[in-house]
Amino acid sequence: MLKVSKLFKSFNNKMIIKNISFNVTDNSIVGVLGKNGAGKTTLLGMLMGLISPSSGEINVFGKNLKKYKNEILKKINFQSPYIDLPKKMTVQQNLFFYSRLYGVMYFKDVIDDLAKNLQMNDLLKKNYGSLSAGQKTKVNLCKALLNTPKLLLLDEPTASLDPETSIFIRDFLVNYKRLHKSSIIITSHNLDEIQSICSEIILLKSGEIDSHGNLEFLLQKNKYSSLEEFFLGQG
Amino acid sequence: MFGRIFALIIRYKTISFGSFPRLLSIFYWPSVQILFWGFFSNFLIQNNSSSVFNVLSIILSAVVLWDVLFRGQLGLTMSFLEEIWSRNLTNLFITPLKEYELVSSLIIISALRTLVGLTPAVFLANYFFNFHLFEMGFYLIFFFFNLIAIGWSIGFIVSGLVLRYGHSFEELAWAIIFILLPFSCVYYPLDSLPPIMQKISQLLPPVYVFESMRMILIEQIIDFKNLSKILLLNFLYLSSSILFFMLMIKSSRKHGILINQGE
Repeated sequence: MLKVSKLFKSFNNKMIIKNISFNVTDNSIVGVLGKNGAGKTTLLGMLMGLISPSSGEINVFGKNLKKYKNEILKKINFQSPYIDLPKKMTVQQNLFFYSRLYGVMYFKDVIDDLAKNLQMNDLLKKNYGSLSAGQKTKVNLCKALLNTPKLLLLDEPTASLDPETSIFIRDFLVNYKRLHKSSIIITSHNLDEIQSICSEIILLKSGEIDSHGNLEFLLQKNKYSSLEEFFLGQG
Repeated sequence: MFGRIFALIIRYKTISFGSFPRLLSIFYWPSVQILFWGFFSNFLIQNNSSSVFNVLSIILSAVVLWDVLFRGQLGLTMSFLEEIWSRNLTNLFITPLKEYELVSSLIIISALRTLVGLTPAVFLANYFFNFHLFEMGFYLIFFFFNLIAIGWSIGFIVSGLVLRYGHSFEELAWAIIFILLPFSCVYYPLDSLPPIMQKISQLLPPVYVFESMRMILIEQIIDFKNLSKILLLNFLYLSSSILFFMLMIKSSRKHGILINQGE
């Protein structure tokens, strides 16, 4: 699904990502952890082609991202609470707009289904700018699922959501992965969330991979009882 | 390809024409300009019976044509800046959208905004001053497309600078046209400028458009040398500005700007 080899990125002669290599297999949920400034956002940006690496290679679906970017981007999507959709348009207009950009067939039906599944039918006619932070998170997730991505990148997917809705979204993501055999990469500071849905984690420390592997195996190997202990211990 | 261009045009159309205040902001200024200059020209004509040519026609043609350039630039720049202001660039650039599709849609929406903005002004000029813009015939279309192309060239440069270097360049979106105005010979001939300004003006395609416009309206003469200069300079500037805009996108990817751009 995703193969990252010897990735480096520097901004203004400061190395932000240092020699990162990892694979993500089909049908898996991977959590990317790290303190602020560890390089999580830069890594996600490079996986989407938004940031060009200083060196190294990213292969998605067996193809080189730099060479086949537009083809690969049709099957990737991203959601972040820090990235908005256009505020002067209704939720429905936004979703129509992105469906057209992704070339989604029968997009009205797709949007109806997603809105129903995400329990956000009542938001469709509202102006995006008028939504609460939690409602925006739901709509952004809906946008991220429009093209039924095989690789879904999520930055804090349950930010600003109440506990009940957070659990609903986590279950939704696990089901989505199973149903579409997709892979999901999540960055989050909510360690309980990572522990509850991720099978694998990547811990970044100052732009390098500190630990990578199966979550349970890493906890057992390092004799930690929770991801929080592991994160604090390794950090 | 057409699906994505269509998607962007629908989006920009919704933003530009989606509500009455936004629509009003597009057409009120050209209409106010036309009325202002029309009444002023009428006053001049009434107080100067020795006027040998149609002052009104020349001034109003200049006002409308200058506004084509201004609206063209503003329509393109504002549509692109809207993506930055709404913090939507990240979402936009992770879609399979190709850069030339973004360029094409910005050009199309700019042309639409310009046409919508100027139509009421042309009708007002006709009603109040019996002004017939179409007196210039085919050359009006030629001037329209060439002036709007100059607007696009400036628009791509400003948009590229704002994208790459941040909001401080936004001021240019409004100011750059007025820096260009004295050199463009909109209301006076090239000869009336000091020699040093003439040298700069000779590099600007609007000068040849307005010189040609005056020749058609005053002497009914077409200067094909001027028309060729307009085409050549516009081709050079428009292609360079699109290239510059694409280079700024590439540079923004290199510097990680596309993921953090916003208000």
